[in-house]
Amino acid sequence: MISKRFLLKRLLLLVPVLFGVATFVFAILHLSPGDPARVIAGQRASEEFVQQIRTELGLNDPIWVQYGRFLVEAVQLDFGQSYQIQQGQPVTEVLRFKLPVTLEMAIYGQFFGILLGIPAGLLGAIKQDALSDHLTRIGALTGISVPIYWSGPLVILLFAQVLGWFPASGRIGSEFSIQPITGVITFDTLIQGNFAAFQSAAMHLLLPSLVIGIYSMALISRMMRSSMLEVIRQDYMRTARAKGQGSKITVLKHGFRNALIPVITVIGIQFGTLLGGAVLTETVFGIPGIGSMLVDAIQVGDYPIVQGTVLTFAFLFTLVNLVVDVTYSYLDPRIEQ
Amino acid sequence: MAADDTFERRSFLKAAGGAAATVALAGCAGGGGQNTETTTEGTSGDEATTEASGDAEETTEESDESGASDSVLTYARGSSSGTLDFQATTSGEVAKVTNQIYDGLVRFEPGTTSIVAGLATEYEVDGDTVTMTLREGVQFHNGEEFTADDFVATYRRFLDSEYEHYPGDDYVSIYGSYSLGVVDEVVKNGDYELELQLASPYAPIIPNLAMFAMRVHSEAAIEEYGSDLNENPVGTGPFQFENWDQGNQRVRLSANDDYWGETPNVDEVVFTVVGENTSRAQTLLSGGADVIDGLGAQSSQLVENSDSAELVSMPGINVGYMAFNMARFEPFREKAVRQAVNYAIDTEAIVDSIFQGIASQASQPIPEGVMGYNDSLDPYPHDPEQAQSLLEEAGYGDGFEFELATFQNPRTYNPSPVQAAQTVKSNLNEVGITVTINQQTFDPFLEYTNTYKHDACFLGWMTDNADPDNFYYALLHPQVENPPEDQDWINPDDHDNPNTSNASAWANSEFMQLVEEAQTTYEESERAPNYEQAAEIFHEEVPWVTMDHAMELRGVASHVEGFEIAPIAGPFLNLVELQN
Repeated sequence: MISKRFLLKRLLLLVPVLFGVATFVFAILHLSPGDPARVIAGQRASEEFVQQIRTELGLNDPIWVQYGRFLVEAVQLDFGQSYQIQQGQPVTEVLRFKLPVTLEMAIYGQFFGILLGIPAGLLGAIKQDALSDHLTRIGALTGISVPIYWSGPLVILLFAQVLGWFPASGRIGSEFSIQPITGVITFDTLIQGNFAAFQSAAMHLLLPSLVIGIYSMALISRMMRSSMLEVIRQDYMRTARAKGQGSKITVLKHGFRNALIPVITVIGIQFGTLLGGAVLTETVFGIPGIGSMLVDAIQVGDYPIVQGTVLTFAFLFTLVNLVVDVTYSYLDPRIEQ
Repeated sequence: MAADDTFERRSFLKAAGGAAATVALAGCAGGGGQNTETTTEGTSGDEATTEASGDAEETTEESDESGASDSVLTYARGSSSGTLDFQATTSGEVAKVTNQIYDGLVRFEPGTTSIVAGLATEYEVDGDTVTMTLREGVQFHNGEEFTADDFVATYRRFLDSEYEHYPGDDYVSIYGSYSLGVVDEVVKNGDYELELQLASPYAPIIPNLAMFAMRVHSEAAIEEYGSDLNENPVGTGPFQFENWDQGNQRVRLSANDDYWGETPNVDEVVFTVVGENTSRAQTLLSGGADVIDGLGAQSSQLVENSDSAELVSMPGINVGYMAFNMARFEPFREKAVRQAVNYAIDTEAIVDSIFQGIASQASQPIPEGVMGYNDSLDPYPHDPEQAQSLLEEAGYGDGFEFELATFQNPRTYNPSPVQAAQTVKSNLNEVGITVTINQQTFDPFLEYTNTYKHDACFLGWMTDNADPDNFYYALLHPQVENPPEDQDWINPDDHDNPNTSNASAWANSEFMQLVEEAQTTYEESERAPNYEQAAEIFHEEVPWVTMDHAMELRGVASHVEGFEIAPIAGPFLNLVELQN
């Protein structure tokens, strides 16, 4: 069981991490060249007009005043209003629309990664050096080595353009107008009972999820295989087999759970990476999540959006790590100490 | 409807040249269309219009019968709209959507730069007074009737900080003061007549009124929504706003069947975003979009080579150039040096190999098709020997060294700035000039050039209103009082509010006089020769190395009919039809 103390300790650790990230992102934005007021005003605006906007946005205040204001507001989950990306809308509101988009894709991607990665790794370990092992290893190596900005367009070319099986970009066909409830489109279409729309959404999500899933699968299967190989050679496994346990049962019941610990770590870290990798996937597949929004926001100097998004990323990342730690202690109670 | 629906600016301007001080214009186009090539097309366009609206009714009936799939036109672009209020932005992305929802008092004829009637059926320009007669019986999407009050409210919301519904200095865009700054007062005479009092006669006022930022809001909507109008647009246009799905970056519009002009032939238009050019092209080719824009060299090739879509292109009204800063860098004050650099730089190679054919070589600031284009001018040929001898003549035979400032990211008029800068560097190296490249992201770069810290810089311009004044006055006139008489450049530090878009600090009095004159006379036949002459002076004095005019490129699926690529104010989606 997980003790409350352990959980509380880990939750408290979130505070310095988020504070550090907040300071870092604020510093990077304000120290780098660039003037959001000029971007808002445009090429035609006079210096006077730009100055006016700077004042309105508080960008003329001393940097520590801006920093203090940012921290005080951030603690209250107020990241200000978007300058450009969604003019005048509170950042939290923008994130509320965008976050589910990225999460949905990352979760499906991870789902594919686990679904394909764990059996592939197990298969490799149990039949070490067999043909199947070599094939999965080659597959995994390819999966890790091929960058998304290359595999993405290739997959679109084959499955969307040439074969025409899947749509090339977006999250749902433009004939569907879906009322967002949770923002997770496959879920929203289902609870609204619109199966045609659900089908469209699922078809749209399949390619991008697979592309990031394959990347994730590669690492998971590699880790599963080596971890399993290590466990199989442990004394207690030999003892179990000596005592007459069928080898399959031994592997699955006794070995699997123990071999899973490092795999969980990888899955956890991978999930964080998936959120980051979402930047590329979202851009290639035209999926309007927070990844592609972050890139746009950096380009136009939309400070509030950049700050809010990076902090959200940081929060999610640490949260996933927390979940990983909690899972450890469930798998191996000794870890809690 | 043809009679009072279209009128021609040129025919109006011809009429204006007569002895009469007051010029009235009332639907003079109709049949008398000998004016320009575009007019001839425009006249036949009227027939097409009648047909098109007939078809629209048929399509609607058909889809009603089947009771199923409405016809949805999907328009995919590279980035999204941050707002749906044309008064809150300078972004062309926003304009693509708001142009469907809103009308202006006057508008650009689809596919051309001629101005035709919009919400005003006729106008009269007399010195510093513009009088407009408004169209009666036009309804906003909220059911309110359009009257002069709506324009007055729209104008005040843009420029009058005393107005109770003024949304704030950080909300409204520069276009208010930039394009309507010359308007002193807007007065309504009854419900259907407006009078605009100008500070002085100003020819570009009519093209300015046709800009995307000068469309008309509903007064009731202004009062109801305030600054939330950016999410609840209410106009009189051919399409009305349905919803803005931020989770999918989509704006959905539906046909306004009561539209006063050509009613749409599709039931809905959906604007989507696919950020990556190649993915956007693939989306078009796999049927996920009907029309796409923002194509680069590679993606336009994809479209061109496909069977399921067509690449449509036309020269855009924009210019990419390298400006010599005469205020800062002394050698550039010599005409011979500027000419030498023009001869030394192989702009043809830059346009063909680096911009890869998505731009055309430029000889002057404005492209062909804009009033005042001088077709006797050619781009400077690549001639290093001529350059060398000019440099020697000017006393710079041993060359010199300067810094070329450039932005890093592609812009329409300069799709590969850094590569282009490197070509400039190696070209000039051949004639003994050493170039250091200073590359920056666009907004600090603008700050840099606006404060004249550059020796030379890359820059460019996309037109606001397709008027030559928007190039010659906006980019090459210093706009200061008492410019020095003995030199053809200014020191920006010596003047209040110099025109920072004049990155050359050029101040050629002959050129300035021509441009000023052309700004204050309404007669096109008088204005055009001025600009042609100004172009000649420009070409001789070369304050820039004029590089290119970027093409407007669209990918259009084969089942789409009636799509007309427009150099300004497009897309005109009410003209588009979808075939099954």
